[in-house]
Amino acid sequence: MIEVKNVTKKYGSFVAVEDISFSINDGEVVGFLGPNGAGKSTTMNIITGYIEQTEGSVIVNGFDTVKKAKKAKQEIGYMPEGVPLYADLTVKEFVTYMAELRKVDKKLKKEKVQNVLKETGLDTMQNKLIKNLSRGQKQRVSLAGTLVGDPKVIILDEPTVGLDPKQITEIRSLIKNLGKKHTVILSSHILSEVSQICDRVIIINKGKIVAEDTPDNLEKKVSNKNIIYVTVEDTENKVDTVAKNIEGIKSIKLIKENEDKTKQYEVSGEDGINLNKIIFSEFAKENITIFEMKKPEATLEDAFMKIIKEGGDK
Amino acid sequence: MGAVIKKELRNYFLSPIGYIVIGIFLIAFSSFFYLTTIYESSADLTYLFYYTALYGLMFITPLLTMWTFAGERKTGTDQLILTAPVGMLGVVIAKFIAALILIIIPVIFTLMYFGILCFFEVPNIPIYLTSMLGFILLSMTYISFGVLASSLTESPIIAGILTFAFVFAATWIPLLVESLSGLSLMDKFTSFLYGQIDIANVILFLSVTILCILITMIVMQRRKSIK
Repeated sequence: MIEVKNVTKKYGSFVAVEDISFSINDGEVVGFLGPNGAGKSTTMNIITGYIEQTEGSVIVNGFDTVKKAKKAKQEIGYMPEGVPLYADLTVKEFVTYMAELRKVDKKLKKEKVQNVLKETGLDTMQNKLIKNLSRGQKQRVSLAGTLVGDPKVIILDEPTVGLDPKQITEIRSLIKNLGKKHTVILSSHILSEVSQICDRVIIINKGKIVAEDTPDNLEKKVSNKNIIYVTVEDTENKVDTVAKNIEGIKSIKLIKENEDKTKQYEVSGEDGINLNKIIFSEFAKENITIFEMKKPEATLEDAFMKIIKEGGDK
Repeated sequence: MGAVIKKELRNYFLSPIGYIVIGIFLIAFSSFFYLTTIYESSADLTYLFYYTALYGLMFITPLLTMWTFAGERKTGTDQLILTAPVGMLGVVIAKFIAALILIIIPVIFTLMYFGILCFFEVPNIPIYLTSMLGFILLSMTYISFGVLASSLTESPIIAGILTFAFVFAATWIPLLVESLSGLSLMDKFTSFLYGQIDIANVILFLSVTILCILITMIVMQRRKSIK
């Protein structure tokens, strides 16, 4: 379990992270979201012990990252952003070095290195020099270095940045599997990735936590507006006038005109009004044929944009 | 600590630095061997160490230590070490030891000159051994300057220039400015060339080395809070 309590990080007068608190349970996969410079990497770096917080504390599986730094670090495997690697080492040499740094038992070292190389699909290229690998392969080498020694907590900073779609799929499926055995924290700019992989999302903006929930709940929070998209046959251009005279409808907006002469409108109603029912009955009275009615699907991206905007407006 | 020493040594020999450092040493040792023993028909090997320390170490030490911390920070690999369950003091000492090994290797090669001289006249063995010891102690101090300089910046070039400046100042300023001659590390080293192991000098070299290593550790720890 990870407990971040009232953590603040200051650089002179600049506050990078301000009084953030959250906890992550064993086996959870948690995503950090936020615009550039929001404080995601700073928070991750504080948890890993790479940098020290100005105030507050971080407890990883019972060990304070400042007072019991070595023990806390033993619990964590960290894959930094930009995959820093020793280019002149071979894949196997690098993973072995990471195993030695993580104090893996000498007798088990060979076996653990081979297991992790297999798990990350690097066993066939273990004798290749890292500098000769593709970006995706380097990402996997970095992940292998993170996993060796079976740390209970895995922290991944932007694990799919710079990869092509095939490599992204590969890394995502690897991360998904990690969630079965480890507590995983990852930061990403790709919201679909977070919503696919993570059980919970923490959104950070301007150094503060602005939202914390499951991806589904965050999506629901933005989809609670009473909006409906309706596609109609409206040759007499009656919809606009008719809709405006219906009680409970706040606004109607033409979205597009289709090739089959149908039109799609966005209708916004007051809260608590059953828009489907009203539109269906009132449009029928005016002989407006309805082809389709649908609620807009909110995505995590919508939720993110809304939360960040609200945070910015404050 | 062993893992970091092994990795550092591997890095030295996977890049040209290890070979360049040993090459420069061998060129310096061989040149001074020729000029001070063969050419002078002398069986005294002490000058070989003296002139290499005077002219060689200020160029070799920056090459050897400029990458130790500055290079790691430049490439971001310091994150791998600083987030691993290893102590900062252990990391600093490991990097120091790896650099020192690279100096000890060519010093061992000087046995070759000792062997050559044996064909003509057996050199004074105790003086040869104390000279080696003095040279290694002086090198340790200079390496600790270099490791400290490397922790102060993320540019290996700046780290190299700083080390050169440290070593140049420590070697030459006390020789050129009479009022500072008491601080001369070269003077302390010279006593070893006469076959003397002055405990005060040994303690001086070791304490300066330990002090620099501790300051390096503090600098690295401090970086964590200002990073």
